[in-house]
Amino acid sequence: MREFFYPSSIAVFGVADNSRNLAKNIISNCLDMGFQGAIYPVGREPGEVYGKEIITNPGSLPEGIELAVILVPARFVADTLDICGQKRILHAIISTGGFREFSEESNQAEKDVLAVAKQYGIRFIGPNCIGVICTGSGLCTPFNPLQPKSYKKGHVSLIVQSGGVTTQSAYYFSEEHVGFSKIISAGNKLNIDEIDFLEYLIEDEDTEQIHLYLESIEDGKELMRLVKKSKKPIVIFKANVSRTASQVAKSHTAALSNNDRIVDSAFRQAGIVRVESIHGLTVAAKALQLPPLKGDRLVAISLSGGFSVILGDACERYGFTCPLLPRELLDKIEGFRRGGVIRMSNPMDFGDVHDIEALIFTIKSCLALDYIDGLVLSFLYDPEIAKIFGGVVGSPEQMLTFLKKLSERTGKPIAFSLIAERQYINEFKKINTFPVFNNPEESVRAMRMLRDYWRMRDVLNS
Amino acid sequence: MKLIEKALEEGRNTLSEYESKQLLAAYQIPVTREMLVDDVKDLTKATQEIGYPLVLKGCSYEISHKTEKGLIRVDIRSDKEARAAFEEIMTNMDGSEKAVLVQEMVKGKRELVIGLTRDAQFGPCVMFGLGGIFTEILKDISFRVAPLEKRDALEMMQDIKGHKILDAVRGMEAADLDALSEILITVGRIGLENERIKEIDINPVIISGSKPVAVDALVVIS
Repeated sequence: MREFFYPSSIAVFGVADNSRNLAKNIISNCLDMGFQGAIYPVGREPGEVYGKEIITNPGSLPEGIELAVILVPARFVADTLDICGQKRILHAIISTGGFREFSEESNQAEKDVLAVAKQYGIRFIGPNCIGVICTGSGLCTPFNPLQPKSYKKGHVSLIVQSGGVTTQSAYYFSEEHVGFSKIISAGNKLNIDEIDFLEYLIEDEDTEQIHLYLESIEDGKELMRLVKKSKKPIVIFKANVSRTASQVAKSHTAALSNNDRIVDSAFRQAGIVRVESIHGLTVAAKALQLPPLKGDRLVAISLSGGFSVILGDACERYGFTCPLLPRELLDKIEGFRRGGVIRMSNPMDFGDVHDIEALIFTIKSCLALDYIDGLVLSFLYDPEIAKIFGGVVGSPEQMLTFLKKLSERTGKPIAFSLIAERQYINEFKKINTFPVFNNPEESVRAMRMLRDYWRMRDVLNS
Repeated sequence: MKLIEKALEEGRNTLSEYESKQLLAAYQIPVTREMLVDDVKDLTKATQEIGYPLVLKGCSYEISHKTEKGLIRVDIRSDKEARAAFEEIMTNMDGSEKAVLVQEMVKGKRELVIGLTRDAQFGPCVMFGLGGIFTEILKDISFRVAPLEKRDALEMMQDIKGHKILDAVRGMEAADLDALSEILITVGRIGLENERIKEIDINPVIISGSKPVAVDALVVIS
């Protein structure tokens, strides 16, 4: 599988030196992303793309090319694969569409491709896919023009059944500063399916979490088995939700079951975090970077009265409680107030305390309580306010470092969001040493994912 | 299982209530005490063996929704009532294989459903939920993929909105969760061990005292 992500050299089939050619974008994407391996464009007409001469006689390709990316019309794919076989290129990404997603389940073009692959022992991704984006190697095989320079490295890898979702996930994960290690567009999964990729990524050193976008599941049992044994969190955005159950069911049980309900139960049994959007994937990715949340009891602190109410509502909605805090602790915190006009409770309105040391003291004291499992903080930030607050965590970097250390030391998660202008929220996110959620509601939703994940894991390990 | 093979040989795709419960009983799932009577001469023997109060039901693989067809008589307390009910049910039934199931009347206010369905991707799945007329109306149900472990069974019972019905409420004993778990796990096992079984409905499972009893059942085969 390594060849699909870190090939020493690639051959791109279907390249032409004209503005409408798509295959040449594969080359420009790789070059933009800094792919260091050799790239050989192959096409029918002589010409030059990005300073590389198009090879019209594939027989002249050098030996030892590790990966072929194929974007030729469907009827020529089998022949192209045969050329790969002759040149001992045993890994291929078949981008071409027009197979089972277009005509019948089993068509001749598809059979021919499978026969050639079998003859040479070629493993391939697709067809009908855009292949692989790997931030570790700079390999970027989508054939649509992209902005690979904006991609951010990270430790989440994604397996995606749709090309559009693949490229959009790359942007989302980068914009949220979560980054990614590998994104695989799996397409029709004719030779390699999500199970194969999952097996690889579970062992992959650069991958800490595995996320999937699936429209169909080929082998639910095997998926469950693999996920159960994975120590890395698995998050799935399962789309194509059919609410209609079998129309021919004779029993109530069959009539009431629909595939989505069963998917939900199966995911839970296996310990899979389920989300409902690409953005949801990024929220889960951030949440799962935090230490385990081992219960339902949170302290919610906001530097705004309104947001402490919003946090309280979100806690309730997602099944959390905000336990009463010890009177003597509340008395101490109330001692820090400026106006003395806000009574302290949980959720806690910190709007009357303009002192960073007081906030640090409060967070530390709350996390030290054995009946508190985690903390949600919606922090007010503006460079000018930071000056008023003063103290050792005045800058965004210092704040995130402080939260990270405290969270790690106590082994309890802190879900952090900001009340601030968007540019400052982005500034915090960009630092990327500690997860920053987009708003208070999202931070509590993230805590729910984290709690549910560890609840499922603990049940599995018990 | 012989029951299934026999039914398939006869070109059927369901087992009768009586057969369905024999199958469940073979897997140690607690079912109602009952006898199948197709001749009025044998009625007294059955009523004596099981004892009043009784329920009489029309029983054939051809019928699955008995209530709507007027094929159930409950709370039968004498030979006279039993005979009248028997005659009436036999008259109301059409079809070739007619018989009446003479069944103990299980007391209990709480009705649950336990079922099995087969999912194309995940295989046999077990359902749990509120039973009787509430199954269709409230659809308060949960699923688990087989095989189930004890924790899955316990968890899926807590998953339904009406899970408090299992607690000690309104003077009733708490339902025996171990016994219910055992049924849920076993239904999953039946699905895994019998490719031919497509669907199962056990509805209602009545909580009698604290113990669950399968009072009606339908097994769909193919």
